Amino acid sequence: MKNLRIGAILGALLMVAAACSSAPAGKAGGTLIVALPGDIVRTDAALMDDSNTSYVIQQVVETLVGLEPGSTSKVVPVLAESYEMSADGLTYTFKLRSGIKFHDGTDFNADAVVFNYERYIGLPTELRDYAYYIGDIFGGYGADSNLESATKIDDLTVAIKLRKASSTFLLTQTLQVFAIQSPTALVLGKADNTETDISKVTAATGGAGAMVGTGPFKFVKWIVGDSVEVEKNADYWNKDKVAYVDAIVFKAVAEEAQRVNGLATGEIDLAQTIAPATIATIAANPDLQLIDRGSSFNTFQISMNHTYAPISNPKIREAIAYAIDYDFLIKTFYAGAAVRATNWMPAGVAYAKDLNLPGYDVAKAKALIAESGETDLTIDFWYPNDVTRPYMPDPKGLFEAISANLEAVGFTINANSDGWREGYLDDEGQGKYEMWLLGWTGDWAGPDNFLKTAFFGYKNGAPSKEFGYKNDALDKAMNDALAAGSESEAKALWETAQDLIRADMPTVPVANSKPQAAATIDLKGFIGSAALNEPLNLVWLDRP
Amino acid sequence: MGRYVVRRLLAAIPVLIGLSVLLFAYIRILPGDPCVAILGQKRTPELCAALRENLGLDLPLWEQYIRYLLNTLSGDLGASVVNSQPFMAEFLTRFPGTVELTIGALIFALGVGIPLGRLAARKVGGRIDGLITGVSLFGVSIPVFVLGLVLVAIFGVILEWLPTQGRIDARARFEATSGLLLIDTLFAGRLDLFVDVVRHLILPSIALGSIPLAIITRITRASVIEVVNEDYVRTARSKGLKEKTVDNRHIMRNAWLPVTTVVGLQAGALLGGAVLTETVFVWNGVGRWVVDAIQNRDYPIVQSTILIFALIFLIVNLLVDIGYALLNPKIRYQ
Repeated sequence: MKNLRIGAILGALLMVAAACSSAPAGKAGGTLIVALPGDIVRTDAALMDDSNTSYVIQQVVETLVGLEPGSTSKVVPVLAESYEMSADGLTYTFKLRSGIKFHDGTDFNADAVVFNYERYIGLPTELRDYAYYIGDIFGGYGADSNLESATKIDDLTVAIKLRKASSTFLLTQTLQVFAIQSPTALVLGKADNTETDISKVTAATGGAGAMVGTGPFKFVKWIVGDSVEVEKNADYWNKDKVAYVDAIVFKAVAEEAQRVNGLATGEIDLAQTIAPATIATIAANPDLQLIDRGSSFNTFQISMNHTYAPISNPKIREAIAYAIDYDFLIKTFYAGAAVRATNWMPAGVAYAKDLNLPGYDVAKAKALIAESGETDLTIDFWYPNDVTRPYMPDPKGLFEAISANLEAVGFTINANSDGWREGYLDDEGQGKYEMWLLGWTGDWAGPDNFLKTAFFGYKNGAPSKEFGYKNDALDKAMNDALAAGSESEAKALWETAQDLIRADMPTVPVANSKPQAAATIDLKGFIGSAALNEPLNLVWLDRP
Repeated sequence: MGRYVVRRLLAAIPVLIGLSVLLFAYIRILPGDPCVAILGQKRTPELCAALRENLGLDLPLWEQYIRYLLNTLSGDLGASVVNSQPFMAEFLTRFPGTVELTIGALIFALGVGIPLGRLAARKVGGRIDGLITGVSLFGVSIPVFVLGLVLVAIFGVILEWLPTQGRIDARARFEATSGLLLIDTLFAGRLDLFVDVVRHLILPSIALGSIPLAIITRITRASVIEVVNEDYVRTARSKGLKEKTVDNRHIMRNAWLPVTTVVGLQAGALLGGAVLTETVFVWNGVGRWVVDAIQNRDYPIVQSTILIFALIFLIVNLLVDIGYALLNPKIRYQ
């Protein structure tokens, strides 16, 4: 007994010792090599709309508010110390942190924030097609912008006034697009709304004034088409989070095989995204680690256009939902790195609830088809033949499996395919397809981004040509939810919207995939996020 | 000679103009829309209209062509529609990478192909000849990207002998000046990095060099066999010249001619092969750039790159023709 007690005490001591030694301060130094699936496109936060650019810029330029590490929807203050919304939901007052300097040595203050936000309102017409998010989120520019004004209250307080309330305003402000850049640098880089020729806006093309923010890394150079280099900002304002590594080189490595090979040879430390097909290879290599980002931030669905028969019949759509063997698809094509969709948006998105979507039930599918009264069960079905997407790792394989499921319950499938850019996106958008494979990766974790922007929002007051899905009550519920003055009102309206969609089963959500990252085994401190907000200042390399 | 060169250069102008028309038309016939390529799922009709107007794609085709031609003649080869980078500056930063790779591939192909061809010719009909012929056939048939990935797997991943990506160790964060890293590293006094650059060159050079290697081997073999039986070789031998002298002075000097032609023709194949090799080896050169541009429907970049490639091809062929004259005094140009 005594021995046991001594053993227990010793064990506890050992555990304490282990706990102490397992959480050492990271090792400083070294250059981190990160493989991205493609090159960045621009070096100006405001003028970007792709994930590679965003991934790099978030290391260098910071937003007023951001997402909690690892989360897709929890808003936390970054450059703002605190923020509050007025009772009418129209004015957001941001209290800024003091003593922060941009990488060019100028002060971060209310003037800088106002300069950036006024830039969004007055962006020259010629540059607007490079600023998708600003136009999309604020609904336009000048008098059309929902952003009415940005006003300096004092040196460290800014009031941002909207024309109409937006329940997802704060979430959208976590996008890298709204990162605060040094006004001095923006003027130097001709990004102060005076230059209309994008090729002369050097802040956007990697020249003078490019990427000057307050972040833990400073921009060094962009070798277009090849790599971007950033280096540690030793004077970072958040002393607890000064970067461990001296520099990061982001390499554009388009080939999946070369991302994996590069990890194996040590030429790459971190591959931001790997395909499900290579998960097994990584897992089998003791020198490498798989990084599961935990949650998903996308939806893959069987898209349908309601102007075609028999898709126009709700019983047929419900039958299709019962006909699909979801578990097989997830196991076979996602290597398990996906979950069955329970909604049209992934689980982490605000207000998302489990909608009890149909499961795999052949008998039920057949019964619904019989009930539908439809006799011609022929469906034109399309897939893209030259791409993979994070939510759709093997379009052809998925297409064949889904087609087989549908034929098993009595549908006749006309198989079609087209190139992603050759016509697929164009034609599905124009409403030329009856049924097709598509999905959406979230931009921000608001329900509007999935339900409205990506899927069922009306375009210019009418159902989109893409889905031909008419539901005026849904459109109204979504618009009211966005303009809701209070959290509880927004929640109630978004839940109504989800119920309306579920009742109609306009498309069939299949899966929410979890694109994995991979790294060498000695890479530590990485916090993955499905939304890819992954600051790399806390990453360190445990090597001599 | 000078007049010949000028005439050849003048003859290149209509070729280039014709090519520019073909290229311009071809790229626009390709299915796909730059708006979809650039904006993807995020495009809206309004954004697309603005983009087309911005890029001049809303103009009639003939007007677009005239603009393109005038700009090209004035030295303005356009800018990327994806990232707005000017063509010429971008081309010049990547071209050195392709030049180093092409030279590496030629050195490999000539250095291995000619001795192999000579050896095969000497042992004609024998087992070694059969082996060499077989290997060279293999070289012609295997696609560059397959060979590239196999080389990466064996020498990079398994044996860990050589680097497999890029032109230089990214961790060195070397600041290039001319872009020719072999020269830049030497001038910077960084012998360690020079060695690193050479090591990075080996696998892609072998992959790319496999295309001309096979042909060079076979042509060398064929022309040596042909020359060996010529009267002047027999005469040389009967004069009592050393076998080495006969080989170098009498056989190879004459056998070089067809080999030179082939090397010139292969320069085009090398530029084409560079497209695949650079993609496999994450090599920052013109080839990988043009692949990205084709995928993105980046019209100006694709158009101007192919035009410049054509120009290079013409110049290389001219150089080959001049090289003829130097190798063989019997050939004179009027």
